[in-house]
Parts: sequence; structure tokens; C-alpha cells
Amino acid sequence: MLLHALLGGVVFGCYFTLIGLGLNLVFGVMRIVNLAHGDVLMLGSFAAYFLFHLAALSPLSAAPLIVIGFFLLGLPFYYLVVPRLAASRDAEMLSFILFFGVQQIIEALAAIAFGSSERSIPARVLGIGAVHLWGQSLPRAWVISALVALAAVLALYLYLYHTRLGLLTRAVMASREEARASGIDIHRVSAIAFGIGLALAGLAGVFAPFMLGSITPAMGSTINLAAFAVIVVGTLGNPLGTVLGGLVYGVGLLMMQTYLSAWADLLPNLLLILVLLVRPSGLLGRRVRLA
Amino acid sequence: MNQGRRRGFLNALLMLLITLAIASPIAAGAEGAAPAEIKIGHLHAASGPYASISMPVYDTLKLWVDQQNAAGGAFVKAFNKKIPLKLISYDDQSNPGTAAILINQLITQDKVDLLVCDSGSVLTAVAVPIAREHKMFLFDPTGTGAAFFSKDNPYIALLADPVSTVWPRYLWEFLKSDAAALGLKRVAILYATNDFTGTQASAIRAALKEAGSPSEIVFDQGVPTSTSNYSVLIDNIAATNPDIVLELGYVGNDIAFLRNLQDQDHKFKAVFTLYPGIETNVLMKNVGAQGLAGVFTYVTALGLTLKPEIGMTVEELRAAFEKAYGGGGVEFGWNAIAGHVTGLVIGETLAHADSLSQADLRQAVFGLSGKLKTLVGTFELREDGAQIGELTPIGQFGPDGKLAVVYPHEFATAKPKINAP
Repeated sequence: MLLHALLGGVVFGCYFTLIGLGLNLVFGVMRIVNLAHGDVLMLGSFAAYFLFHLAALSPLSAAPLIVIGFFLLGLPFYYLVVPRLAASRDAEMLSFILFFGVQQIIEALAAIAFGSSERSIPARVLGIGAVHLWGQSLPRAWVISALVALAAVLALYLYLYHTRLGLLTRAVMASREEARASGIDIHRVSAIAFGIGLALAGLAGVFAPFMLGSITPAMGSTINLAAFAVIVVGTLGNPLGTVLGGLVYGVGLLMMQTYLSAWADLLPNLLLILVLLVRPSGLLGRRVRLA
Repeated sequence: MNQGRRRGFLNALLMLLITLAIASPIAAGAEGAAPAEIKIGHLHAASGPYASISMPVYDTLKLWVDQQNAAGGAFVKAFNKKIPLKLISYDDQSNPGTAAILINQLITQDKVDLLVCDSGSVLTAVAVPIAREHKMFLFDPTGTGAAFFSKDNPYIALLADPVSTVWPRYLWEFLKSDAAALGLKRVAILYATNDFTGTQASAIRAALKEAGSPSEIVFDQGVPTSTSNYSVLIDNIAATNPDIVLELGYVGNDIAFLRNLQDQDHKFKAVFTLYPGIETNVLMKNVGAQGLAGVFTYVTALGLTLKPEIGMTVEELRAAFEKAYGGGGVEFGWNAIAGHVTGLVIGETLAHADSLSQADLRQAVFGLSGKLKTLVGTFELREDGAQIGELTPIGQFGPDGKLAVVYPHEFATAKPKINAP
């Protein structure tokens, strides 16, 4: 039981890394809190659902389309909202309020458009049967979702550390004002980061029907709570720290389910409180600040 | 002295006459003038985790109200005429806190004549004490939690589902008889920790632990209602080597459990889950016939052919529902039937109540007990307002996705089989 919980936790944690990754990137670059992140993920789920049921497109084929589509949607949305928000006196607090409103609108529109019933994509489209690792069997869809999540982390790493645009993005993350002073087009860099953030949320949404059982327009709020726990544990503003946060969350959740199942719901809140009390900067906080 | 006493008597008489003269038109008006409309206060959840069980109730209740109004309104015995109905329904977004505020608003601001709470035990739980505090009779469509019903609370009646302590009666009888005879003796219970499934789990646990029971509980754990992955839990259950697994949850729980079961290597001899027989369409779409094959579940009116003495048959209701809401994203299932039953009970209450006072409404509702036969069976209330009629037999899905009744024997259309899902 312990080994299965640990192994399952790591795999599940990889998926939660993907959930938190875009949120953390947006916060790191723009210092705004996208409370609608979970609802963007929900839209990604419904996009995958409809592409599968209406166009017979498997989630793996739909994923690149959704990534590109959400990235392109993110660009105009950024220019519409974020520059004005960033210019305000308290951008972080105002972003809470603004994106809370966006979240409510998305959820309400989705409920009207899609209805309230649960929907899903058959698990068999990602392959039949379980995957065996160290004598433990895990759902194939979990393993595929985890691999996609790791690929997304790797892609983000390569973008941030091996491209010129990534270098500029890190410069904006370090100091928005200094980046502006050195001639960096911070809005261009930020718009691309915002688009990537939405694209990552959309990608996580593609695999939500397999990881979360089913999808509904109301799933965004629960996703947000988990995503916040992941990025706070892994360090706010450090996208790659999200990996650690995701793993801690995934393993913690499945350990709770194994040994204290009735209390598993409390995990995101417990993690948030613990980290904020003991290490407010997150598990990788010190490293980020020194950098 | 006599003269003074006479004058005092005359003064008193005069005062009495004046009082009567003033009061009588008001009193006559109060009793005689019918209201322009009867206000039915209701909550629904258009979003959130309970939307899929709440919206069907709302849709069919609204459908019933529209049908009544199209016919000139509902007959109200207290005024001996038909009066139009006005359904005031607020969206509580599946949030118990919001539901509490809105229930208060319906009572104190909208001053509704009849109060109907949201669907399901979680959202009913907040309405029960508020209705009681305001001495407002609560029409409870599907909130089955046992804690809602007590002899000292006369302000509630459960309309469309049996109370959770009674609901699983056929299940535990089945487990102790036919299932045990098939060798399904080691029982695992996995339940969502809410009033609905928590109470059912308690009732089943108590029955299986009775002296002489052939069943043995080998796994018994609660999980949060928000649980969306069961992979590790299935692994933990498998480690206890059960013969039959009872998974008691809401729609989302059952979908996640059955999908995870399909994805894993563990195959149990038998599995029981709650919602495949209750919201069959939703489960079939999400899990598929293959995933439901062999699964035991409750059989509701959807799988039975009960002939109602009042209201529509299941097929008539399904047709009306599809015509009104088809393609709107809300599936026709048991909860849609529950909304229709709620409307029927309200209609019969108005047709039998001597006035619109809450005491008379209650008396009328309880007067229907044992007499009202709807598409879900006989409406029968216990003294505390708990529904004890409308019992749900046990069924099993075949490989073709068809649900057959396997228990009790008088309703059975097939024999139970050990058929691992």
C-alpha cells in the first residue's frame, strides 16, 4: 500500500505540477494572481471533450491544437487587461479581484453553454490496461498524463534557459523595472508568458477527464485551490519550483487517502498553512532570492 | 349604582360593537380574498458539485408549474378555485452558505407560501433548521439524511426518496441473503462523508454487524465528497481481499470510481455503486456499458414500470422533459423524476389544505401519506416526516448495459451473477 501510494503520488504529482506551472509562470513574470486559472483549465477540458466527441480527435492529437489556441487567446487578453492592471498601485490585490470576476463569468457562461452534468472521455483512447512499475499497477492514462506534464516542464525549462526570449523573460521576472530600463519590451515578453500560462492550463485540462474522473463547469475552484497549494509549496514566482510543489502535493494526497482518507480534503489547506507558517518563501524560496 | 353599572355595560357593548365592526371586514377579507398567485420558494444549484442532481429537479418542478399555469393554475381548496403559481427559485451555486442566506430571503423577503429546499442532503442540511426556526413547512425533494427528521420537528417532509436509513434496506437484505449465498460475504464499504451516503453507510454497517449475519466487513472508510481519484483507494481495498465492494457517493464519485476501476488491474467479484441506477444516462455516457457491466445498483422508477395514479409515467415525463430542455446539458434521470413528484405533492397539498397556514399545509401533506401513488410508488411518511415508501430494489447491469432487478424476489427480472466489472 505504501509503495503504491508513493508511486501513484509521484505520477499524480507530475500532473499537479502541470496544473500549477502556468499559474506560477504568470505570477513570476507579471506579479498578478490569475484566479481564473482553474477555469481556463476547465475550458481546456471541454475543448478536448468536444474535439473528441465531435471531431473524433484523440486527446493526444487535440493537445497541440489546444496549446496553440489557448496561447493565441492569451495574447489579446493580456493586452486588454494586464498592462492597465500592472500600472495600478496594488496590482496583486487588484488582480485577485479582477480575475475572480473573470472566473465567475467563465464558470457561468460554461454552465449555460455546456450544462451542469458530468462529462468525460473514455480512458481507452489513451490505451487499454494498466502500466506496471516496480510491481505496482497504475492507470495508463495517469502515466501518459505524467509524461506529458514532464515534457511540458522540460519545454518550459528549455524556453526559459536556452532561448533569448526566455532570457528576457527571466530578466522581467527578476525585476520588471530594471528590465524596462534596459530596453526590454516587457509587454511583449509578458504577453508571451501569459499566453504560455494559458496554454499550459489548457494542456492540463486535456488530461483532466482522465485524472479527475469527470469534468464540469464548476471544477475550476477546486483546481485553483490545489494549484495554489502546489505553487506556494514550490515557491511563488519560480515556475520550476512548481515541480517540487506538485510532487509534495501528489504524494501527500495519496498518502492521506491511504492512511487518513476522510481527511484528504484538508491537504491543500494544511500545506498552505504549514508552508506559510514555517517557510513563507516556499521550499525553494532561498535559492530563488539568492539568484 | 345600577345606572352606573348599566352605563359601563353599554360602554363595553359599544366598544365591542365598534371593534367587531372594524375587525369583521378585515377578517372577512383575510379569509375570503384569494391571492393573485401562490408563491413557491425554491433553491437550485446551476453550478458547483451538486448542479447535476439539482438542475433536473428544478427543471421538472418548473415544467410542472408551467403546466399548471397553462391550465389556469393549481386548484387551491382554501379558496375553492384555481390560482396561478409563481416559482421563485434562486441559484445557491452548490454553496451551503449561500443556500442558507437565500432560504432566509425566500421566507422573510419574498414571503413565499410554500418552501422547497434544494436537492440532495448537503444543501438540505442548511435549510432544515432555518425553516424550523421560522415555523415554515419544508418540502424536501431529495434530502434523505436521517438527522433532518425528528419527532420534535414538525416542519419537514421528504417527498421523493426514502430516508437514508430505510433506503438501503433491500441492499443489506440482499447482502445477507442472495449475495452471501453466491459467496459474496467479505464486504468493503467506501463512502463519501456527507449526510446522504454517510447515513446509508451507517445503516448498512449496522445491519451487517447484526448477530447471525453471514457478512463480514473487511474495509470501511469514508472519503471526502470531493474525491475525484480512487486509484490508491481501490488498491487499498484490494489488499483486504473483499468479495463485494460497496462504493457510496454522488454522481462524480461513482464516475471516478468506476473509471479508475476500469483503468486498473484489480477486479472484484462484485461491485455496488449508487448512481448508475439513479442517473443512468450520465453514468452510461461517462463510464460506458462495458464499465457498468455486472455492477449492482439501486433500481429507481427509471428501471421499473410503476403505473402512477397521478401525474405522468416515466416515459411521458421523459418526452416532456426532452421537449422542454433537450440538449440543454441537463440529463433526464431520477432527479428529474423527483422534481416532478415534488410538484405533484405540492399540487395535492394545495388541493387538500384548508388554508395556506403552515400547520394546514403540513396536515394536508401528511394526509396524503399512503394514498398518493406516483410514478415512484407509494408516497408514505413516517411520523417525523421521513419518506418510507418508494423503496428502491437492487439491480444489476448486464453486458448490454441493461439493468435488471435482482432483489427482492417479488420484483426480480433476473438472477444476480458474479460478474466482475
